[in-house]
Amino acid sequence: MKKIFALVLTFSLTLCTLGALTSCGGAKFDENKNISVVAREDGSGTKSAFMEIIGLKGKADVSGVIIGANTAAVLGEVKSNPLAIGYDSLGYVTDEVKMLKVDGVAATVENVKNGTYKISRPLNVVYQESKVTSEVNTAFLTFLQSSDAQKIISDNGYVSTKDGAVAYTVVPGLSGEINISGSTSLKPLMEKLAAKFEAVQSGVKVTVGGGGSGTGYNDAKNGVSDFGMISEKFKTEKAENCTYYEVAKDGIAVIVNKENPLDNISMKDLKNIYNVDAGDAAIKTWADVSK
Amino acid sequence: MKNLYGFINAREKVMRGVFLFSAIFSILALATITVFLFVSGVPFIAKTGFAKFIFGSDWAPLADNPTYGIFPMIVASLYVTALSVIIGIGIGLLTAIALYKFCPKKLVVPIRQMIGLLAGIPSVIFGLFGMTIIVPFVRDYVSPTGVGYGIFSASIVLGIMILPTIVSVSLDSLNSVPNTYYEGALALGATKEQATFKIMLPAAKSGILAGVVLAIGRAIGETMAVIMVIGGSPEMPESLFQSVRTLTANIAMGALELNGDALSALIATGVVLFVFTLILNVSFGMLKRDNADKKEKKGKRGAAK
Repeated sequence: MKKIFALVLTFSLTLCTLGALTSCGGAKFDENKNISVVAREDGSGTKSAFMEIIGLKGKADVSGVIIGANTAAVLGEVKSNPLAIGYDSLGYVTDEVKMLKVDGVAATVENVKNGTYKISRPLNVVYQESKVTSEVNTAFLTFLQSSDAQKIISDNGYVSTKDGAVAYTVVPGLSGEINISGSTSLKPLMEKLAAKFEAVQSGVKVTVGGGGSGTGYNDAKNGVSDFGMISEKFKTEKAENCTYYEVAKDGIAVIVNKENPLDNISMKDLKNIYNVDAGDAAIKTWADVSK
Repeated sequence: MKNLYGFINAREKVMRGVFLFSAIFSILALATITVFLFVSGVPFIAKTGFAKFIFGSDWAPLADNPTYGIFPMIVASLYVTALSVIIGIGIGLLTAIALYKFCPKKLVVPIRQMIGLLAGIPSVIFGLFGMTIIVPFVRDYVSPTGVGYGIFSASIVLGIMILPTIVSVSLDSLNSVPNTYYEGALALGATKEQATFKIMLPAAKSGILAGVVLAIGRAIGETMAVIMVIGGSPEMPESLFQSVRTLTANIAMGALELNGDALSALIATGVVLFVFTLILNVSFGMLKRDNADKKEKKGKRGAAK
């Protein structure tokens, strides 16, 4: 009898704990609580581009920042944390979070293209000139400039910058492997481009890995990958033996949780949220953000 | 016949070489790692200045005027380790005692096996568990600041991770105390509880302590599970519910992305971590030797009588 009782007790205890842990319905948006500022790790292209555009180039992160180690981590945190604000590649953001307008301008492909949405950056591949003499790499680079690639770019929410591109002509009998790694902002797009390239050039295998823009620079520089992906302006000093090609432009969306009633944020407020040296102007809670 | 001897001789020599190589290999690996760490890390520490590196409070490797202070991360590492070990010892020691004398005999083996399974779970899964269950739970129900990441969540995850070490080492050292102590205590009128807590536990003390040191080593070196629940902001811990960064997280977050001086700074962080674990391992060795010495003495005394 005692044993059965103990067993039942253990069982129900486990159930209770599980129930308490999983039923997270208690989380509600409270504008008086501190904003959970989410940022990317040092070396991320999205981070360096975002900080530069909002006027905080080279500054450290604001106190209390939560670091998401890649694009998905930032999205995941903002999705589950009602008090969060973060930034992520426009092409990557899903409708599980809410995109804020910045100074009244929505983050859309058109607004990035016509320049009204300010927070955008180029997505580049960097490579060693000498490596691309190989036939398969040259063909891939040609493919990236083709109208086939431009269609994939704009279909996936990125901004195509090549007008009047021509269709890709298949190179017969082409075979080989291409290694690409780097920026997690460019990675989802590159995977789609790679899949298309593999489909038209059946003898070619393209491997796309992540790691971040810093990895993209390092891998291209050291010849680990044929192409490194970076999501910022190409900086020669980071990979002196390399050159670059701009695959597309990408907006950086400012995202908040769906519970958050805010729709628009001013550039000034955004800066004061992310600025470590903002002093008295620092915005700590959602109540401080001007509506 | 001579040929056969020659063959055996040659085989002896070859095998001797193979064994020698195997014996040396791990030492070689250790030496290479140590040399790599110190050669690439120490010059950087010297360049930045030892005090500035160890006791500096600002970490901004990519800023216009880069600063490389890892003091906040050292403090965060120590906090996380201490708190997780407290959680681990609290639960682990009591588990070991329960399994030792108080749990029904039938349940001891299955419970030990399950705790063993816990030890086999990869740390990234602990991290996932922490990130998706513990962090949101702490954020919504426990944290006064509305932040789920930080020392509190990391310590819970690590506390669970080091449980198996503490339970199995404590239980083994309790079991290695001669049962006559226990029986003697009972015969003198002690209760079961008194005998366990006042006699057996002190007798097993140094073994348990060694287990604790082992657990500390695991906690301070754990990277993957911590990185997913610690938040990652390189600032001084002022609250248990605040995004901070440990030494291990600092290395793992930047190692693939940074280069130049920033990468050297990470390697230098590695040196500091290495020294910490070295100190722990040496103290573990000393505790073990201490333990062995004591046992030997006891044995001798017994023999002399």
